Amino acid sequence: MFKPSHVSVINRVSAALFGGYAFTWGFTALFIAGSVGLGIDFHEAETAAMLLAFIVYLGLFIWAFAAANLYRVWKVLGGGAVFMVAAAWGLQHYLVS
Amino acid sequence: MFSSFRLSMTWLHTWFGLVLGFVLMICFFFGALSVFDREIDRWAIPETRFDPQPMPSFDSMLLPILQQVEPDEKDYADNMPAFHDAGQGPMTPRLALPVEEYWAYTTHRDPVLIMGAGFGVPHPKDPDAHNHIHGDVTIDPRTGEPVSSDALKIGSRWFYPMHYSLNWQWKNLGYWLVGLASLGMLVALVSGVIIHRKLFREFFTFRPQKQPQRSTLDLHNMTGVVALPFHFFFAFTGLVIFASWLYFPVSGTLLQPLHLQHEAEEAAATGLPHEPAGVAAPLASVDAMVTEAKRRWAARDMAGEVGLLRVTHVGDVNGYVSIYRAGSDRVALIGEGIHFNASTGDVLHEDPPRSVVSEIDEFLTGLHLQHFEHWLLRWLYVIGGLLGSVCIATGFIFFVGKRKRQLAEAGSQGARAVDAVAVATVTGIVIAAVAMLAANRLLPAELVGKGEWEKAAFWGAWILSFVHAAWRSAPVAKARFNPAWREQCWALAGLAVTAVLLNWITTGDHLIKTVFTETYWPVAGVDLSLLATAGLAIVAAGRLARRERAGAAHDAAASEDADTTLYPDAKASHG
Repeated sequence: MFKPSHVSVINRVSAALFGGYAFTWGFTALFIAGSVGLGIDFHEAETAAMLLAFIVYLGLFIWAFAAANLYRVWKVLGGGAVFMVAAAWGLQHYLVS
Repeated sequence: MFSSFRLSMTWLHTWFGLVLGFVLMICFFFGALSVFDREIDRWAIPETRFDPQPMPSFDSMLLPILQQVEPDEKDYADNMPAFHDAGQGPMTPRLALPVEEYWAYTTHRDPVLIMGAGFGVPHPKDPDAHNHIHGDVTIDPRTGEPVSSDALKIGSRWFYPMHYSLNWQWKNLGYWLVGLASLGMLVALVSGVIIHRKLFREFFTFRPQKQPQRSTLDLHNMTGVVALPFHFFFAFTGLVIFASWLYFPVSGTLLQPLHLQHEAEEAAATGLPHEPAGVAAPLASVDAMVTEAKRRWAARDMAGEVGLLRVTHVGDVNGYVSIYRAGSDRVALIGEGIHFNASTGDVLHEDPPRSVVSEIDEFLTGLHLQHFEHWLLRWLYVIGGLLGSVCIATGFIFFVGKRKRQLAEAGSQGARAVDAVAVATVTGIVIAAVAMLAANRLLPAELVGKGEWEKAAFWGAWILSFVHAAWRSAPVAKARFNPAWREQCWALAGLAVTAVLLNWITTGDHLIKTVFTETYWPVAGVDLSLLATAGLAIVAAGRLARRERAGAAHDAAASEDADTTLYPDAKASHG
């Protein structure tokens, strides 16, 4: 039986839970803004984003536990979240007349 | 941190399953009860034990009642300070709030009609948000008489919200916990499949005569695998239902400007005004609109009754009436809405056919919320929910059985603590629900705040079950048998039979009457389910007693043996 250290467990659970959540948040925002930019109805895009959100989150969650390099997990999830939120925000700026 | 993918999945399955299992149990058990929430309401409020009714006349019955509805005191106290902008003047008194919307809602299983009003906040902090203080009333649609607001609808207003919010409204924490648990369920299912791999074999594997630890794991795997699509589907769609409101409120926060622009465009395209004009106008005959809506549905070859009726911007020239069809003949939650100008009665807009994305979404959420009429499927939902509960319960039992000897040798109280909480979540949850029903029949109907007393009985019974479990689970710390399970089974059996008898004594509705002479399945079904619960609890208590007598030493030795011989890797895989 192996015993992972407390710090590494907390780190990994946080990455999966909060990192995954932030990334998914950015994903839904960018997905909606991007779809609207492509001429898709806002509520259609929102519905599709919400259907995809938990599949994405689930995948990220499992990956955060399976990945060997936790530092990379944080980089991808955090960086992805920041990038997508910024992109969604910028795109909205352009779309709202 | 983990040496292999499977080990990481095992850790995830064990610990997330254990911690979130307690919340999941609540979701699955009360979710299963919610399938028959309206029937439990009938049992709990005897004056509403009659057959479902169609929507009565709006003009002559509903409108005069709606005009009397006041903003709810609790809703006002809780939400008004948050909505109101103090910079613009003092808070509008509760009874002076302007009414903005009316609604009335019924289903094919509802004898009573629920309706209400939404009141506007004159000086809102955020004018773009949904600033409404609500008030609602339940009536007997045959007479228009209101059902006492102290009569708690135990099924649809307690068990049902329990399964998605834990009835813990503070900061929506209940919803967040359930959301986390649902994600945990999805993770547990995926990781469980990865750990076990022999899915097909486990589908058919249950060896009740083997050692208890072996049978427990068999049952855990079987209930997990047999209903795997069911579990996955409900956890997933449960998340999707609340996603855009709570879990990922993107369109109300970051993308609010884009969302508002869309709403304004949509209002222009559909002719349904997004804002009131501020010019007063009378309300035309809504009954005539209902007749027209039914004519249009019939013309589309889908004749039906009204399920939901809503008046938006009440008393304003921009007001409109939306009439939705009761969708009890289909899975997708859709209403074929037809919208009328409130003051002229002209049709403004008919909902267009839906896109593929909406169809998928409405089908999935409709399948979760099951407003459709299909009694067999309804029972299959109950069985699915109970299979989920068994899966979680056996997970707890396996967890404790696996560790109790080792922990006992180390002098730890860990196994005792987990087993005590498991008792309180498995038998305790049922005891709390049944105790609430018994209290409902014991408390007089005219008691002021009866619903609050029933809630107190629910929490009180649950706390008692927890205290009892914590006290009686001491032998687990010595790797011996836990008598709390058996004792709570007996308590449950006693309570369930008592509830059935109390229903008979207080209402005269005994099973011979509700099944044979004056058949009324909602009440008969609850009574029969209570008796089945009592029967199962007695059988379980008897078996537990026999096993207890057979001795704990054999038990512990057998579990060790089963793990190492049947699954050589089980020791590693369950951490």
